Amino acid sequence: MAWLHAASLNSIRDGAVVSADVGGTPVALYNLGGEIYATHGICTHALALLSEGWVEDGKIECPLHQGQFDIRTGKALCAPLTQDLRTYAVRVDGDDILVDLDQHGARPSLTSKKTESTVQPDKTAIAATAVIVGAGQTAAAAIRALRSAGFNGAIDLVGDEVHLPYERPPLSKDMLLGRGNLEACTRLSRNDADSLGVRLHLGQRAVSIDSAEKLVHLASGETLPYDTLLIATGGRARRLGIPGSDRAGVFHLRTIEDAAAIDRAFGSATHVAIIGGGFIGLELASAAVARDVAVTVLEREPEIMMRLLPRPLGRTFRRVAEAHGVDVRLNADIREITQRGSKLGIVTEQDTIEVDAVLVGIGLEPVLDLAVTAGCAVAGGIEVDAEGRTSIPGIWAAGDCTLHHIPKSDGRRVRLESWHNAEEQGAAAGRSMAGATCDAVMKKPWFWTDQFGLNIQMIGSIHANDMVVRHGDIDAAAGAIYRTIDRETGLLTGVIAFSAPDAIRQARHDLEATTPFVLDNVSNVVLADDESESNTSPSEISAMNAPSSLALTKRYLWPQEGLTRIPDWVYTDETIYEREVEKIFHGRTWNYVALECEVPNPGDYIRSHVGPTPVVVARAEDGSINVFENRCAHRAAEFCRELSGNAKEFVCPYHQWSYDLKGNLAGVPFRRGVNGKGGMPADFKTADHGLRKLNVTTHRGVVFASYNDTMESFEDYLGPEVLSEFDATFDGRKLKLLGYYRHSLPGNWKLYHENLKDPYHATLLHTFLVTFGLLVAGNRSLMLADPSGRHGVMASAKSDGKTVTSDAKKEMRAYREGMTLEEPRFMDFIDEFKSPWSVTMSTIWPNLIVQREMNTLGIRQIVPTGPHEFIMKWTMFGFEGDSEEMTRHRLRQGNLMGPAGFLGLEDNEAIKFVQDGMQRVPNGEHLVKLDPEIEAGTADSLISEAAIRAMYKHWRQEMGL
Amino acid sequence: MTRPSYADSDARLASLLLHHEIATFNNEYAAALDEQRLTDWAEMFADDALYVILSRENFDRNLPVGLIYCENKGMIRDRAFALKETAMFAPRYLRHMIANQAVLSEAPDGTITARANYVVLQVLYDRPDATLHQVGVYHDKFRRVDGVLKLAERRCVYDNLLVDNALCLPI
Repeated sequence: MAWLHAASLNSIRDGAVVSADVGGTPVALYNLGGEIYATHGICTHALALLSEGWVEDGKIECPLHQGQFDIRTGKALCAPLTQDLRTYAVRVDGDDILVDLDQHGARPSLTSKKTESTVQPDKTAIAATAVIVGAGQTAAAAIRALRSAGFNGAIDLVGDEVHLPYERPPLSKDMLLGRGNLEACTRLSRNDADSLGVRLHLGQRAVSIDSAEKLVHLASGETLPYDTLLIATGGRARRLGIPGSDRAGVFHLRTIEDAAAIDRAFGSATHVAIIGGGFIGLELASAAVARDVAVTVLEREPEIMMRLLPRPLGRTFRRVAEAHGVDVRLNADIREITQRGSKLGIVTEQDTIEVDAVLVGIGLEPVLDLAVTAGCAVAGGIEVDAEGRTSIPGIWAAGDCTLHHIPKSDGRRVRLESWHNAEEQGAAAGRSMAGATCDAVMKKPWFWTDQFGLNIQMIGSIHANDMVVRHGDIDAAAGAIYRTIDRETGLLTGVIAFSAPDAIRQARHDLEATTPFVLDNVSNVVLADDESESNTSPSEISAMNAPSSLALTKRYLWPQEGLTRIPDWVYTDETIYEREVEKIFHGRTWNYVALECEVPNPGDYIRSHVGPTPVVVARAEDGSINVFENRCAHRAAEFCRELSGNAKEFVCPYHQWSYDLKGNLAGVPFRRGVNGKGGMPADFKTADHGLRKLNVTTHRGVVFASYNDTMESFEDYLGPEVLSEFDATFDGRKLKLLGYYRHSLPGNWKLYHENLKDPYHATLLHTFLVTFGLLVAGNRSLMLADPSGRHGVMASAKSDGKTVTSDAKKEMRAYREGMTLEEPRFMDFIDEFKSPWSVTMSTIWPNLIVQREMNTLGIRQIVPTGPHEFIMKWTMFGFEGDSEEMTRHRLRQGNLMGPAGFLGLEDNEAIKFVQDGMQRVPNGEHLVKLDPEIEAGTADSLISEAAIRAMYKHWRQEMGL
Repeated sequence: MTRPSYADSDARLASLLLHHEIATFNNEYAAALDEQRLTDWAEMFADDALYVILSRENFDRNLPVGLIYCENKGMIRDRAFALKETAMFAPRYLRHMIANQAVLSEAPDGTITARANYVVLQVLYDRPDATLHQVGVYHDKFRRVDGVLKLAERRCVYDNLLVDNALCLPI
């Protein structure tokens, strides 16, 4: 026994509750008319501080779910509470309040009337048998009510789940956050069942009811006779009726096993989709966000919760979710769920979303078949009166499978799928079955949901057509209060409070009003039904929810106009970039890595890249060319640092692991340890720890690599048309290396492809060409796209400046007659190729441009480093056998290209400008509409963007967007 | 210890004067480029001058490719003219710093071989920082044309292999 100081007397005014920490235990202290009482500080139902609750009539009401305890005795007085609160002995010494945690504060209860209605048991009910089918929360409430109403006959409980009755709200909340377990959810423990005299028939399904003989038939063949019968069969999760909805990885939530499966899925998922934007869907989304799993919610309707709540409230819930990073897609038309490797693809009208798991929360289907066998009147739910009586004598029904007895304002009767309704209807039926007259006034429908850190409570019968009025300035955040008002009568129909339990208390009183709700212009804001988001933008909501989490997901919706628009996120989004590395650079593509003339001899190597990934290209002793990752198999060191060289082997400098010229692990120092100690395990095999090797192919002296081991041949990859242009440049002559340019470019890598699939810019950006009469829009030209759309060749034939027609001159913005170069010979074209074109720029997907600008020849290799930048490596070459003058001609003509080239510097600047524009004025889209007659493909006009569209047709397919 | 002869003294003075002359030339060269007087810049070259900007990677491996490759004054003038009249690039300021200037030799025909390190800083209008746009070394040959020093050859060999987007103005 120890009296510990808890608080000072004057810190608790009469009728108040305060919290105190007594030796590490949270305690609630109460002042009831000068008497001080102490209880444990936390509600026995959920984690809520009672000091934030409401003291009234000797009772403390929990702020979260309105459970009430008797302050003096700690007795749990009503649902949802099933467990009493601990009380502690209190002593007041001067101004000190002392508490003894080891002594109960047992005092006689001063609450005069019992909360459960006290009734005289109906004599006829005594020794009768009550059977309850469906062992959920409703059943537990009914059993307690039966017994507290004095029923002393037998109770048989039949349930198809093997578990004792448990409540389901935690399944979408605590159970997914690692805080819940079955025991905590159980509403009727084994001890309760024993003490209440319940005979359990769990794991058993009732198949039919014979209402004439008053028998329940079980699937096991057993028959249970009843005097009174309660049908509390609840419902099952509604299924999606689309192909693929039965795939592994598609989850529904109804049972504790379902919750456990979803919990496991969250453990390994990075992105999940939730189908259905209802309360379950949003609670699942909230749990996913808390678990750092990105979420996309797909809602079929134009707003979430549209059939439950007025549209402005659905919008409010959506904004809360969006402010926490949830990607909510409205009007989602889901066609199919497909398998995409280890992931699932949700195919919608617009696109395919790839996720790790799909959670379906599209509502509940009531289980009515048993009621039908009994002959009960059913209309989308079992029809019952206020006491839960069905149309068949001796049979009651309650919970999710029943219609609420009070019609909505439009006359419809609906099922109320709420915890509160299960409790109320179950208790009402139990009392009625016990023969008690029901003196308890039916409470207003009440519902709560916990999501995104908010405890949101709703009370009243809210209709989707009601007007919504916001109280005060707080919107979609803690403290926000909304009222719904019947448009015809002006009566208050409901109150929705975001982490504001006092508002719900007040609402109980306000909802009794029989006069129209008085709108006050100062504190009330009527919310518009349509989405006029003028006064509150999502960003303002984010600010109010500070600290707001970063958006975890983003919308990747292609504009409705199709390929004539390219959204900015294609070029600026980090996730898209990462996907490109995976799907494109590391996918089914041949990536340029080197020219064979750069590694002519065994042991020669150069550093290169496949996408952003550094690789080494080495020629082995047998003459083969090998490509492997420049990353040590031991500790990931990028071991090869020289740009090029000759080596017998590669040795990682960190721990001297050595690799041969094919990337095989050759030696591991101290592999056997020293003096019999340390070293690698005996089963370590060097053969299993080589460098990651890539698939390699060469064509006409050009080396390509792929992460895909089942690539088609390079010839098939290019297709005949692009191949023939490739071969026109690499015409069989041996290549001679002339040197490199390297530069960074602060733009998205695809913009470089597009620039060379965009002949439109040539005469407009590159005024150098037109100023000196070197290229005009009327030149013979072709913008070729291969059938896949990924490769392209921009080709033109040089014409003599003297033959420029006056029409063509008009097209040339900067053509200035009389302007000439002092050294025009650098623009000479020496026709050395079997091709009708003097210039071809081939874009070979994904990382290669082959430049044949008259006689200056080069490879451009794209090395992306992120969405906003790439590195370009140019490898300029001529041919063995070129005269010195020819080499110098190529070098002189090289002034056109490269990062200081007359044309090259302009391309680099223009691409930077495009990226700048997107970054500084974000979330827009590009217009690529030129040449509408060709949707996507080859164009014979320079004034065309058809090849860009062709590229995006392919890109979208590869990216699944 | 003997006093230096007058002849020695003349040689040292001549060397000092030449060094000063080349330093003055380089100062004017830098000023012409920094002020973007490209026509003046082009006139600092002899008619048959070679002007090449090439990476140290290419230089070390005897690979001839240059970012700018001009074989004579006509091409240098074309470059100056094209940059002034036709080239599209974001406006910018450049600042050339030339240091470690050395006269290496003077051939009987009057060709002076010299070398200097350079740093070129670039400022774009929308960023507060000056970026180190290029750092390298000039390998030069000077010649007197009508008594005035002109560049017969300037090979700008840059160390920072990765050019920052575009080289829009000469080095």
